[in-house]
Amino acid sequence: MLGLSLGEKQFIKGGIAQDLRSDGRKRLTYRPISVETGIIPQASGSARVRMGATEVIASVKAELGRPSPLQPDKGKVAIYVDCSPTAEPTFEGRGGEELSTELSVALQRCLLGGKSGAGAAIDLSSLVVIEGKICWDLYIDGLVVSSDGNLLDALGAAIKAALSNTGIPRANVASGASGDGQPEVDISDEEFLQFDTSGVPVIVTLTKVGKHYIVDATAEEESQMSSAVSISVNRQGHICGLTKRGGAGLDPSIILDMISVAKHVSEQLINKLDSEIAAAEADEEES
Amino acid sequence: MAAKAASTPTTYSPSPTTQKTKPSFFKNDNVDWVRPDGRGFHQCRPAFFRTGAVNAAAGSAYAEFGNTKVIVSVFGPRESKKAMMYSDIGRLNCNVTFTTFATPVRGQGSDDKDFSSMLHKALEGAIMLETFPKTTVDVFALVLESGGSDLPVVISCASVALADAGIMMYDLVTSVSVSCLGKNLVIDPVLEEESYQDGSLMLSCMPSKYEVTQLTITGEWSTAKINEGMQLCLDACSKLAKIMRSCLKEAASASED
Repeated sequence: MLGLSLGEKQFIKGGIAQDLRSDGRKRLTYRPISVETGIIPQASGSARVRMGATEVIASVKAELGRPSPLQPDKGKVAIYVDCSPTAEPTFEGRGGEELSTELSVALQRCLLGGKSGAGAAIDLSSLVVIEGKICWDLYIDGLVVSSDGNLLDALGAAIKAALSNTGIPRANVASGASGDGQPEVDISDEEFLQFDTSGVPVIVTLTKVGKHYIVDATAEEESQMSSAVSISVNRQGHICGLTKRGGAGLDPSIILDMISVAKHVSEQLINKLDSEIAAAEADEEES
Repeated sequence: MAAKAASTPTTYSPSPTTQKTKPSFFKNDNVDWVRPDGRGFHQCRPAFFRTGAVNAAAGSAYAEFGNTKVIVSVFGPRESKKAMMYSDIGRLNCNVTFTTFATPVRGQGSDDKDFSSMLHKALEGAIMLETFPKTTVDVFALVLESGGSDLPVVISCASVALADAGIMMYDLVTSVSVSCLGKNLVIDPVLEEESYQDGSLMLSCMPSKYEVTQLTITGEWSTAKINEGMQLCLDACSKLAKIMRSCLKEAASASED
């Protein structure tokens, strides 16, 4: 990230205070979002989302595994994010690890819900094949290809698109399998289980610069932030996860105000994303 | 088990009285959850703090909240590693580790990496980093026993340790978490309650400034519930801050004598 001069910093802060950002957007306007699905043939589902200059790819792979002994009737989901050095040279080697961990944890918090499974985006009990023995493990991997701010929102959108593109193959259990030995499972080639992603929440990050909040900050605007709150909202308007980032303290009333602004913004974002995903799926089927 | 020293030692047999019953799955929404330690839903565990737990450290503190026992030591300000760039404000380095015997399953230290960065975020807003340029303050937290609500206890204990070390801060950082069990909000959950929770809200704040330094929410919440949860946490945080202050004052007056 190039350094900003004092004048540029003042320009950014002043513009935000007057509801006119450097690229002409208003405070609560997103950059144009473009979604492509089914870009990775090896994965069970994949998507690529571009928000301005930020580009991320999400892929979903389903593999058979054992369910955890504590929850034998549920499948498992793991979310990892990798920040590629192509986005920033500082991400090479261990450099991007801190950011990757922060993003992975935030996404897990938003998409996996509470310990008992309430509020989760994906119904884990639909992933079980044989209770206690075999279940589907979903590995959701996010890759940051180009970073210009607002990575969390882009990753959330990409995961939502990838999940709607995911097809879990039908697993037929061979009858007559022995009780103790590994049961025979035949995986058919026809894709069967498609996720209903209307319940998947979207993540809205509100960045506080000065006294105002903006949505979808670019990298320059993020460098001027005092703090940011990422809120995951689902279609019903319920909050599915919240993470405050940034060091400065925030008054509790401001946080509640941010939550209501996020709910308002999320409605448009959910509709926009759903229509983009539907268009992308239609394109993919034609080609 | 009373040991009969005089008689010949028989093969060891465990005492039948120490039966650990497995908790049944809490699935019934209609039955109100009764807390295992008999507290009310909005009642926190009694808090115990003691400073000066580690002699070698610049400052240290031991905290015990029911079954959650945490020890934090603060080293610094120390010279930053030569590899790090020059910085005219100080640096904060946090590390949270679990002992292998902290959890019921050996070695299952939950989310270690995550806790360290969350501790860092909770504390960095409160410390006056400009007062120790070019140096680093290390905060090492060790969870001796994990009895639920571990990260909030670690954060509160770390602020006491930083105060004991004499690091300048804007305010103490206190932290409390609230669990959502069905329709009930339960403050300061124990390990059992955390495993059944439908959602959790963890809040760290600076009580005197009335500012939130960190807020994380998991699970599905409506805005009204978030409001209620935040209010519960803020009230509990201000009470906890009083306890922390009185502990620090006691330690200071004891050292003067």
